[in-house]
Amino acid sequence: MSAARIWALALIVIVCLLVGLSAGAVPLPLSAVWAGLWHGDAEAAAIVRDLRAPRVVLAFLVGGSLGICGAALQAMIRNPLAEPYLLGLSSGAGLGAVIAIATRAGGAWAVPVAAFIGALCAVALVYRLSLVSGRRLDPHVLLLSGVVVGAFAGALMSAVMVLSDAPGVRNAFLWLLGGFGGASWRALAVFTVYASLPVALILFHARSLDLIALGDEPAHHLGAEVDRLRRVVYLSTALLTAASVATCGIIGFVGLVVPHAVRTVFRPLHRTLLPIVFLVGGCFLVLADVVSRTVVRPLELPVGVITALIGVPLFALLLRRTLA
Amino acid sequence: MILEARAITVRYRRHAPVALDRVDCQVAGSELVAVVGPNGSGKTTLVRALLGLLPLEQGSAAVDGRAVGTWPRGALARVVGVVGQQEEALFRLNVAETVMLGRYARLGPLGAPRAEDRNAVRAALERCDIVELAERSIDSLSGGEWKRVRIARALAQEPRALVLDEPTASLDVRHEMELFELIRQLVDGGLAGLVITHHLNLAARFADRIILLDRGVVVAEGTPAEVMNRETLSRVFEWPVAVTTWSDGSPQVVPLRVGEKSQRTINDHLSS
Amino acid sequence: MPSRLSRLSRPSLLLITAIIAGAACRQAPAVHPSISLVDDAGDTVRLAAPARRVVSLIPASTELLFGIGADSAVVGRTSYCDYPPEAKAVPDLGDGIKPNIEAVIASRPDLVVLYNSGQNAAVAGRLRELGIAALRVNTDALSSVPRVARILGKLIGREKAADSLAAVFDTALASATQPQAGRRPKVLLLVWEQPPMTIGRGSFLSELVERAGGENLFADVASSSGVVSIEAVAARDPDLIFTTVEGPSAFATRPEWQVVPAVRKHRFLHVSGSEFNRPSPRSPQAIRQLTVKLNEARP
Repeated sequence: MSAARIWALALIVIVCLLVGLSAGAVPLPLSAVWAGLWHGDAEAAAIVRDLRAPRVVLAFLVGGSLGICGAALQAMIRNPLAEPYLLGLSSGAGLGAVIAIATRAGGAWAVPVAAFIGALCAVALVYRLSLVSGRRLDPHVLLLSGVVVGAFAGALMSAVMVLSDAPGVRNAFLWLLGGFGGASWRALAVFTVYASLPVALILFHARSLDLIALGDEPAHHLGAEVDRLRRVVYLSTALLTAASVATCGIIGFVGLVVPHAVRTVFRPLHRTLLPIVFLVGGCFLVLADVVSRTVVRPLELPVGVITALIGVPLFALLLRRTLA
Repeated sequence: MILEARAITVRYRRHAPVALDRVDCQVAGSELVAVVGPNGSGKTTLVRALLGLLPLEQGSAAVDGRAVGTWPRGALARVVGVVGQQEEALFRLNVAETVMLGRYARLGPLGAPRAEDRNAVRAALERCDIVELAERSIDSLSGGEWKRVRIARALAQEPRALVLDEPTASLDVRHEMELFELIRQLVDGGLAGLVITHHLNLAARFADRIILLDRGVVVAEGTPAEVMNRETLSRVFEWPVAVTTWSDGSPQVVPLRVGEKSQRTINDHLSS
Repeated sequence: MPSRLSRLSRPSLLLITAIIAGAACRQAPAVHPSISLVDDAGDTVRLAAPARRVVSLIPASTELLFGIGADSAVVGRTSYCDYPPEAKAVPDLGDGIKPNIEAVIASRPDLVVLYNSGQNAAVAGRLRELGIAALRVNTDALSSVPRVARILGKLIGREKAADSLAAVFDTALASATQPQAGRRPKVLLLVWEQPPMTIGRGSFLSELVERAGGENLFADVASSSGVVSIEAVAARDPDLIFTTVEGPSAFATRPEWQVVPAVRKHRFLHVSGSEFNRPSPRSPQAIRQLTVKLNEARP
C-alpha cells in the first residue's frame, strides 16, 4: 500500500469526522466546534461534547464494524451479495424490539437489550438449521436458513404489531429503521466493550478469510481449519451486528456496498482490505448520519433510509464498473 | 513412504455398499502413482480417505509415517499439496498473490511475508514456468494457465507430496502434455506424486506405478505394462479395447469400435 | 335466434321478464331521501328518516352524540370511547382502527360514523353496498367540534341540541383561550421517546397548548409528527416538556438528554385524561387545566 494512499485515507477520515462535528440541526462553524471540544463553558460546548462527539464516534465505529462484517461474510459464504443482515439478524432484532414495546417492558435499555437477544436467537436458530450437512456451516444452507428464519421472525413481528394494543408499538418501526439519536458517551462505551472482541477476532483471521474464499476444500488443503474458522467468523459477525442493531437499529447497505467499493480501488487481500473497509465504512456512516440530521432540519430521517438511498445507486454504479 | 493407505474400507452411509474395500495404496518420494478406473470406482474416495477427509471403517491411512488423523491441519499442509479438480475464484487476486496463499501454513495468521516466502513463491512460479504471469489477474487466465497457477500454489507450500485430481480435465493436447511433463519433472526432483486421471495413455506414459480400481476394489497394481492388459481393461471398463506398445515401452490403449476385431487388426495395421 | 326463442315455454319467458324487471327496479332509487348532506370525504350521505341506531367508531363522535342527547341512539362504540361514563354501557365493537364490519352489521345500525382515513374508504363503501349509511368525518382539529356536532344533529334529528352545544362550545373556547401576548413558555410536545418524536403545529395537542398560552417548540414543523434530534431541542431550550406518561420518564435519566436544561431541572408537564386525546366539548376545560399548569411553571 503506497504511502500516498494511506495519507489520502487518513485525510478523508479526518475530514469526515470534522464534517460530522460541525453539521447538524444547529450548524456550527469549525471554530465553535473547536472551542466546544476543549473549553467547557463555550457556547456550543454541551452540544458538541455531549451530543455530537459521541454520536460521530459511535457512527464511525458502527459503520466500520458493519463494513468488516460484510466483508468477512462475503468471503465466508462465497457470495458477493452477503451482508450482515442476511442471517436472519434484522428480523430477529425487530421481533425482540417489538415484543419489548408490546409488553411495555420498562427502562430505557429494554428495547436495545431485547433487540440484541432477538438477533442472537435468530442467529442461533439459523446456525442450528444449517448444521444439517454434518458439522459444517454449509453456505447455501446458511443463506436459505437465514431467509427462512428472517421471514418467520418478520411474520411474528407483524402479528405482534397488529394484535398488541400497547401504544407506540407501531413506532417500533421508527426505532428499527436506524438512528443515532440516542448516542451518548455511555452508549459508546457499551458498544466498544461489546465490539472489541469480535472486531479483533475478525481482523485476526484476515488471512484465513483469503483462503476460505477459495472454497472449503482448497482452503482445507492449504492448511485452514475450515470448521473452526466458519464458527468463529459466524459468531463474531453475529455478535457485532447484534450489538450494532441494539445500539442504533437496522442500518443496511453499509456491509454490502463498502467492501465492494473498497475492492475496486484496493487489493482484495483481507489483511489490508479489512482495516480499510473499517475506515471507509466508518466515514460512510458518519456522512449518512450527517445527511439524516440536516436534510429535513429540525426533523431527522432514519439513517437506514439514507444508507439505502445512497447505497442502491452506488451499488448499481459498482456493478457497472466491475462488469464492464 | 510418504502417503500410505493400508486395507482401508470406506462406507459413505451406514447401510450403503462400501465405496472402498480393503484398498492398499503407497506412494514414496520421487515416485509417480496414477489411480485409474471407471467412473464411480472410488478414485476420488481413495484420495480423500488418504488425506483424512473421510472416516475409515477399517484400515489406516498415514502421511509420512504418522496416522493422518493425528496430523494438525497446518502441519499436514506443509507436507502435502493438493490440487483439486476445479476451483472458481471469488476475488480478483493476481497470480503472485494466489501463489503466496500457499505460504499460509508456514506463515501463521499474523506473520507478514518474509524473504523466504517471497523466494518460495518465485521458485514455484519458475518451476511451473509462469513467471511472466505474476502480475496478471487470475480471471484473465486460460484453463491451462490456471491449473499451473494452482500447482505453483501447492508447490509454494514446499510439500513432500503432491496430489492432483484429474489435472488434465478440459485441457487440450499441448496443455495436457505440458502438465504431465511438469508433474514428471517435479516428481523426479523428489516429490511423491499421486494423480487421479481418466487418461489411461498419459498415465501409462508418465507414471511409475498404476493402481486400477473397480467398484472400490483394487483390480490390479504395478507398472503400467503389468496392469494394462487387454483382458483386464476390457472387463473393468466394460468396453473392448486393444493394447499396443509405444516405442518407450509403455502400453497404449485403443478402444475398439463396435464390430471391430482386436489383435489381428492392429498387427495388420502395424506391419503394413 | 327466433327458433330458439320459440322453444322456450311461456312460464320461462315470464320468469325471465320478471328477473329483468326486478333488476331494473333495483337500479332506480327506492325512495326520495329526506335528509342529505355531504360528509368530509366528499360523499353524499342520505337517510330516509333521522337515524335511530348509530354505530360510532370515533371516540370524538361518541362524546358528541351523548353531548347532543342522542344516548339512546348509540348502539355501538369503539373500545377507546370512554367518555361519558354512560358510553361504557354501549356494546364495544373493537378498536375502530380496522373496523370489524360483521360486528357493525350485527348491531343493525342505520348510520355508521367513521373517521375519515384512507382505510375507512373501503369500509364505507362496503357498508353502503349493504344499504347502511356511512358518514366519514375529520375529528382532528378543535374546529371539528361544532361542525361535526351539527352534522350529527342533522342526521339524528336533534339539530337544536347540536346548535346549542356548538354555541356553548364556541363561547367557552373563546373565553378559555389566552391572549397571545407577552413571553409565552416554550413547550416541547414529546409524544414518543425512542426515537424522540414531536408533533407539529396544526395538530390537536399543539392547538391546545397554543390556546393555553404556550408555544409549541416545533411550531415551524408542518407535519403532524416527526423524529427530532436532541440537538435541536437543546438549541431551542424549551421551558417545559410535555410527556405522555406519568412520573419521571425513563428518558429523563439518559445521559444524552442531560444537555437539555429542562430535563436537568425536571421541568416536566404531564396531564392525563381523555380530554387531551381528542377534540370534544371538554376541550375548553382542558385548555384551562393546561393554562394553570403553564402558569405554575412560568419562570
